[in-house]
Amino acid sequence: MNSHRIWRKAVLGLIFLFFYFPILYMLVFSFNDSRSLTSFEGFSLQWYAKMFSDRNMLEAIYYTLVIAVLATVVSTIVGTVTAIGLSKSRKLVREVITQINDLPIMNPEIVTAVGLMLFYVSLHMEKGFFTLLLAHIAFCIPYVILSVMPKLRSLDPNLAEAALDLGATPFQSMMKVIVPQIMPGIVSGALIAFTMSFDDFIISYFVTGNGVKNISTLVWTMSKRINPSINALSTIIVVIITITLILVNVLPVLKEKAERSHNRNARRAIPALGAFLILAMGCGLYALKGSSQGGNAEEAVALYGSNVLKVYNWGEYMDPAANEAFEREYGVKVIYDTFDSNELMYTKLQGGESYDVLVPSDYMIERLIKEDQLQPLDKSIVTNLDQLASGVKGLSYDEDNTYSVPFYWGTVGIVYHKDHVALEDLEEEGYNILQDEKYRGRLYIYDSERDSFMVALKALGYSMNTDDPEELRQAYEWLVQVNTTMSAEIVTDEVIDSMVNGNKDLAIVYSGDAAYILSENEDMGYFMPSEGTNLWSDAMVIPKTAANPKLANEYINFMLDYEQAYQNSLYVGYASSNAEVLDVLSGADGEFYENEAYLPRVGYAKDEIFRYNDMTKKIISDLWTKVKIAK
Amino acid sequence: MREFKRLVIPYIVWIALMIVIPMLLIVMYAFTKEGNDVATLSFTFDHFIKFFTDPDFLNTLFLSLKIAFITTVLCILLGYPVAYAIASAPAKRSNLYILLITLPMWINMLVRTYAWIGILADNGLVNHILSFFGLNTTQLLYTDFAVVLGMVYNFIPFMILQIHSSLAKMDKNLLDAANDLGANRIQRFLHVTLPLSIPGIISGITLVFLPSVSSFVIPKLLGGGGYMLIGNIIETQFITVGEWNFGSAISMIMALIIMFSMYLTRKIDRDHTERRMNV
Repeated sequence: MNSHRIWRKAVLGLIFLFFYFPILYMLVFSFNDSRSLTSFEGFSLQWYAKMFSDRNMLEAIYYTLVIAVLATVVSTIVGTVTAIGLSKSRKLVREVITQINDLPIMNPEIVTAVGLMLFYVSLHMEKGFFTLLLAHIAFCIPYVILSVMPKLRSLDPNLAEAALDLGATPFQSMMKVIVPQIMPGIVSGALIAFTMSFDDFIISYFVTGNGVKNISTLVWTMSKRINPSINALSTIIVVIITITLILVNVLPVLKEKAERSHNRNARRAIPALGAFLILAMGCGLYALKGSSQGGNAEEAVALYGSNVLKVYNWGEYMDPAANEAFEREYGVKVIYDTFDSNELMYTKLQGGESYDVLVPSDYMIERLIKEDQLQPLDKSIVTNLDQLASGVKGLSYDEDNTYSVPFYWGTVGIVYHKDHVALEDLEEEGYNILQDEKYRGRLYIYDSERDSFMVALKALGYSMNTDDPEELRQAYEWLVQVNTTMSAEIVTDEVIDSMVNGNKDLAIVYSGDAAYILSENEDMGYFMPSEGTNLWSDAMVIPKTAANPKLANEYINFMLDYEQAYQNSLYVGYASSNAEVLDVLSGADGEFYENEAYLPRVGYAKDEIFRYNDMTKKIISDLWTKVKIAK
Repeated sequence: MREFKRLVIPYIVWIALMIVIPMLLIVMYAFTKEGNDVATLSFTFDHFIKFFTDPDFLNTLFLSLKIAFITTVLCILLGYPVAYAIASAPAKRSNLYILLITLPMWINMLVRTYAWIGILADNGLVNHILSFFGLNTTQLLYTDFAVVLGMVYNFIPFMILQIHSSLAKMDKNLLDAANDLGANRIQRFLHVTLPLSIPGIISGITLVFLPSVSSFVIPKLLGGGGYMLIGNIIETQFITVGEWNFGSAISMIMALIIMFSMYLTRKIDRDHTERRMNV
């Protein structure tokens, strides 16, 4: 018997180590003094401070809790009522409904999510709080019904009958006779609903929008960069959950060593305690959320018709302080959403979301202009156009800035580890170094269909704007080769921290990210192959569907001005469109002095600007999906 | 009793709107050409042909099934001993153990998965330990191993809980009876405990296989941008590429495959119970 016990302890010990080690790891690193997730450099509370000063995080927690509570209440009531009705219905009705009710449970979540997304789009419902709440209610009800039904089945059907005979109204007999009998089922249904809603990512990811994020979707957008604030947030969640569970599970046991299993007691205590905690947190968060808004909101409403501005920009593209400065100055609230590819942004617009300011790239702006989706800027408001750098003046897609004001510009090149990669190899092979067996397994390429094909086409000596199917096919094969035999890692913004940490030796990177990498890790260099590159620019535009165009013009002008342009460029490392900012930052006292990635190469004959082509766009996006899944 | 029957009506309307119509929309998109205006609908099989004639897509489907299969098997092999150990512990202890198993499930899946990145990264904890002992460091993050690990980590609690609940329900007298009839410990396990826990394993399989075959979060975080499972293809079609019709077709294919495998597992379960009843 003794060996049995040891064996049991060993098994349980190992599994709990497996379960709790990562959580513990996260907890420890939330107190790390540095940004690293791998080496601990001293105790600090800075990530907690960051978290509590980050409005996005507070809002996400707020939305998560509000949605979870509302979805739990509604789905518990509807689910219970329906289950009671079902128990009295004919067998056929019951069977059919339970079958359909099982669908969201038996279906992969992503299918349910996609279905709901198509549903909202078909109805032209604007994604946001309401769509999110409806979706959460929809996937919670089935679980409530599922946990209430068995209790009803074991209930004597004559009870309700007897109550009615004794003069109770149907409502009374339901509330006073049926519900108390099935209470444990209702409570556990509510608990499941709350957990499901609180933790949901997949469905929320597809049905939310307009800046409404829950914790999961926020973590998803943040997880590209190393961000210990996520650890801080998680630690707080872990602590709250642990305390709640310990209280509800241990207290009843200590209090009364009654015969009843303490599990049931726990279930009874959870709602009261949970409700209290949630209420307290909700109030606190609401107070925090409210205090961050500017004071002269009414003035803004009078001036612009609304005090809300919705901005859709690239991830990691702005100093958060810039938006806060705008909010203070104009007394408005900026809803700031981010994307990580032009295509993603475009798809989201097609999904019916409206924004006031977008920051797409050159070829995408060309497309939006062509499709008549943009509105002209109000030049009486955008007065800072004369501050534009010469490199971004008169760009071919919008020569006289009718629709767009450049925000950043740059090139695409190769960041390399100076000690591990020979410069001669780079000079000799250019982009074809990505095919050099010597560097196998030591390279990153960027998950952008456009720029990956640019690299391949340039490596093969073609124009990156080619529409020749044969050249595109060759480029596709070149990329498959890089992905399979060279085992390149396809990444997005996580490449930045990975290269700063020196995880690999070669990476295709945008010049601005390269400038940041070089400034953080001096072993890294930036190389622009002689085959030419993509000379890109991202510009601020106002879509036709913008709700607040006047304020959007003010925003564009504000961000173009020296002060904000300087802050933003300094913060992210991308070359500013403001001439003076460029001079100062790359000058002798500037942060990016002698940083070879900061200033874009101008006037090199083989560099090109992307042109939009409807036909090649489709071919390239199909081929890129296939490159990624090639094994 | 008629009053109670009427209580179902609101929910019938609700499921028609929020469950049935969305499913029908997926089917509609899957069989139509681009553009979603009802006026310009045109029927096509193209998306299915595209999927089934392209080895890359089929390989991805196969890889997803393989990863989900490995995950499920590992969850059974690792989860069973745990469930058994919990079930054989004294009642008070086993309640505590169950609580400890469920607690991590309350923590967001993304957060739990994110935690592994620091441990598995090229210069992460595991590789630090390896190099400390003078061993070669290996790439762990962005491999099959990392993806399977992430899935087992996230989904094994379902398996443990299901197996445990069927073990806990078992009548202990059966074991005593088997003992009295001269069965040794191994025989008792093989002929009494294991068969009685099959229903738990089966429902555990559905709870593990279903999320692992369709997952796109774990492969993306732990497998990297180049690691595509079928869920990732659906995600990119809807979120970045914007080909909703093709994405709907793949969703439909995946849903059908899963429903078919659910049907099979349930049938095996039923056959199994029937056979036992007949013996």
